[in-house]
Order: sequence, then structure tokens, then C-alpha cells
Amino acid sequence: MRENILLEVKQCSKSFPGVKAFNKVDFDLYKGEIHCVVGENGAGKTTFIKMLSGALHPDEGTIKIAGKEYTHLNPALAHQLGIQTIYQELSLAQDLTVAENIFIGNWPTNRFGLVDYERLNNEAKRLLDNLKINLDVEALVRTLNVPQKQSVQIAKAMATEAKIFILDEPTAAYSTSEISNLLGLVQKCAENGIGVIYISHHLEEVFDIHDRITVLRDGNKITTHGKNEAAPEMIIREMVGRDVSKFYTRQKVAIDYSKVIEFQNFSDGDMVRGVSFKTYKGEILGLAGMVGSGRTELSRLIFGADTRISGSITIEGNKVEINNPKDAICKGFALLTEDRQKTGLILQHSVEWNTMLAHLNNTNGVFIKEKTESQNIRHYIKTLDIKTPSIKQIMKNLSGGNQQKVVLAKWLYANANIVLFDEPTRGIDIGSKEEIYKAMVDLAKHGKYILMISSDMPELIAMCDRIVVMRKGEITKVLEKEQISEENILTYSIGGTI
Amino acid sequence: MKNIFAKNKKLARWMSRGNKSVLYLFVIILFAMLVMSLLEPKFFTARNLFNILNQQSTLGIATMGVAIAMISGCIDLTIGNLLASTAAVAALLLNAEVNVFLVILLTCLSGLAAGFFNGLIVVKTRINTFIATLGLMSVYQGLALIIPRGNNIYLKGKLADFGTYRVAGLVPVPIFYFVTIAAIAYLVMRYTKFGRRLYSIGGNPETAYLAGINLDRNKIIAYAISGFLASFTSLIVISRIGQSQPAMGVAYPLESIAAAVIGGVALSGGRGSIPGVFLGVILLGLIRNSLNILRVQSFYQYVMLGVVIVIAVTLSNIGSIKKL
Repeated sequence: MRENILLEVKQCSKSFPGVKAFNKVDFDLYKGEIHCVVGENGAGKTTFIKMLSGALHPDEGTIKIAGKEYTHLNPALAHQLGIQTIYQELSLAQDLTVAENIFIGNWPTNRFGLVDYERLNNEAKRLLDNLKINLDVEALVRTLNVPQKQSVQIAKAMATEAKIFILDEPTAAYSTSEISNLLGLVQKCAENGIGVIYISHHLEEVFDIHDRITVLRDGNKITTHGKNEAAPEMIIREMVGRDVSKFYTRQKVAIDYSKVIEFQNFSDGDMVRGVSFKTYKGEILGLAGMVGSGRTELSRLIFGADTRISGSITIEGNKVEINNPKDAICKGFALLTEDRQKTGLILQHSVEWNTMLAHLNNTNGVFIKEKTESQNIRHYIKTLDIKTPSIKQIMKNLSGGNQQKVVLAKWLYANANIVLFDEPTRGIDIGSKEEIYKAMVDLAKHGKYILMISSDMPELIAMCDRIVVMRKGEITKVLEKEQISEENILTYSIGGTI
Repeated sequence: MKNIFAKNKKLARWMSRGNKSVLYLFVIILFAMLVMSLLEPKFFTARNLFNILNQQSTLGIATMGVAIAMISGCIDLTIGNLLASTAAVAALLLNAEVNVFLVILLTCLSGLAAGFFNGLIVVKTRINTFIATLGLMSVYQGLALIIPRGNNIYLKGKLADFGTYRVAGLVPVPIFYFVTIAAIAYLVMRYTKFGRRLYSIGGNPETAYLAGINLDRNKIIAYAISGFLASFTSLIVISRIGQSQPAMGVAYPLESIAAAVIGGVALSGGRGSIPGVFLGVILLGLIRNSLNILRVQSFYQYVMLGVVIVIAVTLSNIGSIKKL
């Protein structure tokens, strides 16, 4: 068995400012094995992949491949050592054929130095047949769908001297038959002697194909199970298992159950499918689900930022028509997006500028009343305790937490009544986190409606009065206060009762 | 002592607000003027300085429009040929004995409409603005030939005062147009919600959209302003040269973009100020005038102008280059 070992990770650690993303993890992989890695969002899976593909360097520990020890890899070295990370559609040349892509840069040539297409196509055909992939080798990659492109990726990786495949959430947005095709293909690769690291939120898939399962939690390896050693419930428990009570305790707010907003049948024809739910005045309603479950898409749909194929909103008995963000803002909606730098702020402009951006919709007149604006903005800076030398400071120079508070100030200033928070505390320090929580509870106290999307479970559990759980664009469960627990959230996020 | 310190702080803050390039530019212009005054006594005379301003007023007015579009993240390459088209419209109307004021009004309206159309095309097709206006540029090149049937149209003295009148016998009237339009542009971009929206769209369209700003409408208006100012420019030009020519204005698109960029406007949008653009236009004129006075042959002038543009842009963007 020892001589079949492909990869040995020993005591690897990686820290980011404020977070230990990966903590003294051991991991190994054998030839022909499918080794699944599971864990919540933020458990360290992405860090792990990035270290293996050479994008991140571990702070300590070693990675041993083919009998040689390395303190870190870089992308070129990882490639040379036969580690292939397979993405859904990146890194294929769209306007070359399937065969050309599979042997890209390494095409067989005839004696004039020109590409020998007959040999190229035959070899590609042989490779695809061997993997039982049913594709025309002369089709342009552009014309393929995502699962087909992914199989081309896998075939391409097989054509190189790859020994280790890493698949990260390979089945996102796949249909059932497409998933089973992919799983078959992965097993075929393993039969050919490839070691596969398979990362997925979907436990059914994992249980279908695994040889071993490793559970990560908060950057630690919890355990590794052999084939059919553990039941799904046990894995879920291991993925969760942390002390919740230590977390932030919020103030209780009386909810007014007579005032309600109903969201009916929201669909975008792709990531969100027929979502309906309601929320009450003064309530903080959580939206849970794994990455890719359609939560962010739902929030943008509600806000009118993307085109919907169906969906209507009734605010306290009045149906409202929202077709673009401006409509939404005028109806009292606010959206704090998950990526504040890309979609929440204008980084090269000042604190003042960013804060008044949405408020401008509510003012009359042609000119900006700078004096009044500055005064009002200073008030928000004080109440939210935004640390900035002046309101003229450029956003770029503020810390993540203060940037997020400016985004919040923007919506408070716009007098928002229904606030959608998408990952409001991602990547910000603990102090700022608590201030954001406090601001959210304050909003609830003032009778606002609050929707909170978060992948941080302790945060959701501490903050939310009820939690809507989504999976693959649909609501799988609405958890009442007394039902909220990490086990329940996780169970409904990754595939209900398996 | 304390007072000086406070002033320095204020200055530092003013600089950090993206006014650095304006200051650099101002220093460069002063330096160039100093050098020229030492080299050539004819340079630093009221007549010559007014001459520079007068020369640059046409490019300057058109550049204001181009800069406004650029700040909202849109390139407008059409202005040169658009200007030639509206010049032909104006010349034909004048020769048809239409009232001068009506001609001015109609010409500006045609420029406004053309700019509106440009904006509509850019916004609705969602083509990269550089490519879209490159295509439209050719459309206006055609129109500039079609409208006057390929001919130069002579004004025979009509509209002469519009671009050549000297206030108090000294200051050419186009300088007043330029300064007034620059001042209005400054007010609009600096103090109105509309200006703020254009900066926001250029700075981060996604954020602007999610803050309720209508991207399409504001971009269309920016193009309409650019078209309007180009047509206004065309009136000054035909008044000066006494005729409309189908090939006039070809250098405008690139020169106006160069002037705006020298003035600190980012090609990607969101950054730049009207005072900066104003100085950018002045600097270009200053250089051309200096080369003329120093009797540099016109062939060499092109080369030197190009070199100076590159150097000036490098110098005025020195702060942001360091960060790369």
C-alpha cells in the first residue's frame, strides 16, 4: 500500500489576518482512490485546494509528492507534479475543437511540421471512448454545455501525465443525470489509477463515490473515515460540532406579527426557482444555504437588480412593482451586497460621497446641498463609529469593517425600511462585526424588516428569529426559532434527509 | 506656526482628493511659460497669451463634452466628424438666408440630437464605447460629405462676428465662450446630482446601479452634451475660416482625449476634474504656440507634441503610477 501513495500532506497550516484558515492538517491520497473532503463554508476546503494547486503557500508543514517533500508548491510545479485542478469551464479555448483542446500545445505533427489532424482526432477519440465520454471530437468547445466542457477538461487532464485530480464543487447547477454522468467519469478516472480529491456540499454524491471521507471544520481536520464507516448523520455532526453558546447574544425585540411583507414565487429561470416566504416587522429573518444555493441571486431579484421571470412583493397588504434598483430604493428597500468592494462602494471616492449615493434618490432639486449632507453624514459616522480621519477620506484607505459600516450608513441615510444583508460580516474584524450586529438589532427595534444572508452559522443562529433554508434555488425548510440548530440548517442545506 | 500647519493639512487633504494632477499640471504650465519667456520676449505679451487661449477655445469647448463623457466611463470619438456635419448644416442654413440666431439654435439642436443618438446606440447595443463610436465616427464622416455634396460651403461674411469679434478690441470672443462653458461644466460636475451620478457611474457602474442610478439615461445625456458642444464648436470654426469643409475636425477626437487625460481624467472613467481638463487644453496650446514662436518646422512639431503629451501624462499621473 505504501508504494501507492501519491500525496502526503503533513501538519500544514495557513493563517490569514485574524483567522487560522488551516491548522496542522494531515492528509493523504492513494493511487486510484477517491478521497472526498467535506466541511461547512469556511472550513478550509478552498485554502486546501489553493495550497495543492500552488496558489497559496502554507505557513508550516510539508507536502510530499512522489517521494519528494516540498514546503510549498507554485502553479508551474504543481502542474509538473501532475496535480490538476478541474474547473467547470475555465481554461478551455472556446474556438478550438474538443480534440484540439484535449491535446492543446502538444498536437501531433506530420513531417512538414503541420498539425496531423487525423492522428489528433483518432487519439482524442480513443481517449474519450476509454472514459466513456460521448462527444464529437471535432465539435467546437463553444458549442458545448457546461457538463460537457467539464468532461473535456477531465479528458484533457488525462491526456497529460496527471496523477492527482482536484474537483471543487463540480456539480453546481447540474441536473441529476448530468451529476451521475460526472460521477461515473470520476470513477473511471480512479480506475485508471488517478487519485481524486473530491470536494462537495452534496452528501449524496459524496456517499455515492467515496473511498474515504475527510471532515474539515474551522481549518482543523476532524477525522478521516474509510469506505462506509460513517453514516451521514455522523458526518453532519462532525461538520458542525462547535460550542454555540459562546457567540454574540443579541437583545430581544418585539415582533409585530400584524405587519408582514410577502414575497411570492420568485424565479429567475436558473438559480432561483419559485421561492415564496414572508417576514414580519421587527424580525430578523435568516437565509441559509450553501454557496451556490441561490441566496444572493434571490436578494438581487427582490431588489430588482436582475430580471425575474416571476415574483411579486406585498408590503403590509399593498402590492408593489419593482423593476429596477431605483424602484426598490423608493419603496424602502436596501441591499448590502456580499462583495462590498465590487458592488457596494466606489473605492476611489470619499466616505461622504459613498454615503450620500442612495440618499440622492430621495432629495429634490438639481444641486447637492453639501452643508446639510455633510452634517447628516457626520451624524451617521458618529452613531456607527466609523473610524476615518475625515468624511473626505478616500474609501480605499479604510479597513474592511469601516468600509462595511459606510455601506450600512449609505442605506440608513437613504431611509431604508427593508434591509437585505448579504454576508454582512464577511472578512471584517470582530469589533466591527459586533457593531454591525448592534446596528441590525437597532434597525429591528425601529420596526424595520431585515433579511440576513450568511454562511456563518453561529452568526445566523445568534441573530435570526427564523431561518429560511435554501438548496439548489428552492426553499427546503423554514426553521422556527426553537428549531434553529446547526444540525438542522446543515441537514436542509445539503440535501435534506438522506 | 500653528496656522501654517493647519493650512498644510488642508492642502494635503485637497491634494489627496485627486487634485494632485491639477497642481502638477499648473506647475508644469508655469514652468513652460517661464522657460518660454526667457527664450523669446515675444511670448509673454497680452496679444500672444490671448492668442493661445483663442486658439484653444474651440478644442477646449469640444473637450469639455468629451471629458464629461469620459468621466462617466464613455469614450466619444465622433466629435470631429460630427462637428464637420453640423458645420455643413449651419453653412447651408446661412446660405438659405435663415436668421442667424435661428441658425445657431438649429445647429446646436442638430448636435444635441446627434449626441443623443450616439448615446442611444452605445447604451442599447452595449458595444464597447470605443468601438461603437469608432463606427459612428465613420457615419458622421459620410454625413459631413453627403450634406454639402462634398463641397466646401463659403459663408460670404455671414456669421463672421460669432467667432472673431474682439471684446474691447482686444479679447477674442471665443475665449468668453470657452471660459463660460468650462465654468458651467465645473458647476455641473462638481455641485449637481447629475455630475455626481456621472462620476459614480464611471467609478463603479455596478455600485451606481444598485444605488438606484439609471446608467443608460445618464450616459445618453453625457453623449448628448458632447454632441451639443461639438456643434457649438463647429459654429466658431466656420465663423473663423469663413467656410465649412467636409474634412474639418479630424484631429479633434484624439486631441480632446489627450487634453482630458493630461488634465487627469481616467480613460476608465470616474476620475478627473474640469479645472484639470481646462489646464490640459491650455498646456497643449501653449506647446503648439511655443513651437511656432521658436519656428520649429511643422513636421517636427507633430513629433514634439506627441512626446510632450506622453511626458505630461506621465508627470500628471505620477502619483498613481507609483502604486502599480
